[in-house]
Amino acid sequence: MLVLTIDRALEDPVYRQVADQLRRLVASGELVPGTALPSVRQLARDLGVNLNTIARAYRLLEGEGFLVIHDRAGVTVAAPAEEIEHSARAKLLDELTATLARLRQAGMTIDDLMTIVQIEVLAIDGGGKENEDD
Amino acid sequence: MTEATVVSLFFTVRVFIVGGILLILPSIMRKGLLFGAYIGETTADQNAARQLRDGWYIGCVILMVLSLLVGLGIAVAGWPVTGNLTGTAFLLTGAGVLYLRWYSKARKLAPPLAADQAEKAVAPLVPGEPKGAGLAKVALGACLLASLATYAYAVGSYQDMLAFAPVYARTAFYKIILLPSVNLAVSPFYALLALLTANAKRSLRGGSGGGSLEAQDAFRTINANIFSGTALLMCAFMSYLSVRIIRVGPSEIRTLGLEIIVMAGMILVFLVFNLVRIMKRYGQGGALIESGSAEAPLTNGIADNARWIWGVFYVDRNDPSVMVEQRFGIGYTLNYGNPTAILVLASFFVLSFALVAVAVVGTQLGGG
Repeated sequence: MLVLTIDRALEDPVYRQVADQLRRLVASGELVPGTALPSVRQLARDLGVNLNTIARAYRLLEGEGFLVIHDRAGVTVAAPAEEIEHSARAKLLDELTATLARLRQAGMTIDDLMTIVQIEVLAIDGGGKENEDD
Repeated sequence: MTEATVVSLFFTVRVFIVGGILLILPSIMRKGLLFGAYIGETTADQNAARQLRDGWYIGCVILMVLSLLVGLGIAVAGWPVTGNLTGTAFLLTGAGVLYLRWYSKARKLAPPLAADQAEKAVAPLVPGEPKGAGLAKVALGACLLASLATYAYAVGSYQDMLAFAPVYARTAFYKIILLPSVNLAVSPFYALLALLTANAKRSLRGGSGGGSLEAQDAFRTINANIFSGTALLMCAFMSYLSVRIIRVGPSEIRTLGLEIIVMAGMILVFLVFNLVRIMKRYGQGGALIESGSAEAPLTNGIADNARWIWGVFYVDRNDPSVMVEQRFGIGYTLNYGNPTAILVLASFFVLSFALVAVAVVGTQLGGG
């Protein structure tokens, strides 16, 4: 049973907590392409948050290509592109480079950055196993 | 058997039913909840919580005995109906006072950890319409159609009667129109509650949500179905009775005694049977069928003491849920901070008032 958990006590806004968890579930393959997700209303009701919060998370993930929002059929996990276009790939790498540069500028060491990248990649790959254990 | 004996017998049965439910409630609540307060799963197992529960059982038994003494005492003195009403009022008021006292004691047991836990919410990633919503929609449509048709039939019959025998008809207006009015207000409202219950928020436990989710869904469905069934039965009962009253004539209502008892009895049996079924098989919120997850903390607003007034009224303006699981009782309650919930409640009262006003004003205008 896949579940989403939010914690209002955290500094991260709720829409980002929702988007982060869904992104990881899609990236790790636990949510396979075509999987239907709960409607905005249903998820908002279960989590006890505003409808706009969930809509914002869904729109964010739609923009990133993780979800497809249909008019009537609800929300489904997007099929991965066969091959990322050269320009799209370059854009994503540019964003990654800029983010890493900003973190380096903020005083993080190369080792710290390597560790963060490693943890994030492992979290994406290992998320499925953790949930299966539950 | 005299009328006084029957009244006293019904009163005694009522005291035992209400008292019995009050006695059972603490044992069918979700773990971590105690008399409307969330005290946490660990604290619920400690001695202080057990002592509180024991005190509640003693308090309930004393209340039942006192209510019987008051009600039956007045009945024996020669006023059975007054004794019935006074004893019932004593029982209900006493239950309210007892609950508030124990709620206040339970709140003192709530550890700070419970408040932190309240910030967490869990939702399953399972799409689809909730079970029970389909039947609720059918019940809503059927109740609206049947109650409107009955009301229209009653108004039409009254106009025919007015043309045929004006003096007789004028005195009979409220007798003809009152029951269809109650039907029009109450039956669709119950069906609407069924639909809202089917869509009520699920209060899950943290960690693995599987067992908790299945229990919640089963509990929510049975509640929605009971509301739908009650709405359909009540609508059928009141529609049938409304038509029968018009057919036999308002002055002959007493001749329908047996039919009224049989149909009211059917509704009562349906409700009692399902109430016992919920208490025995499901527990409040599915507490008795939560598989292996009762130790994980409760989430989703039900754990947040700050959102509950006296542990009874749930008020959260930021929560889009119209209905949430009750903390002490059986079934679901409205979110009084939600505009839709307030609208539903206000519509019910406004419609009821308007329909009764039409009956009363219509009778006065008719000279009845």
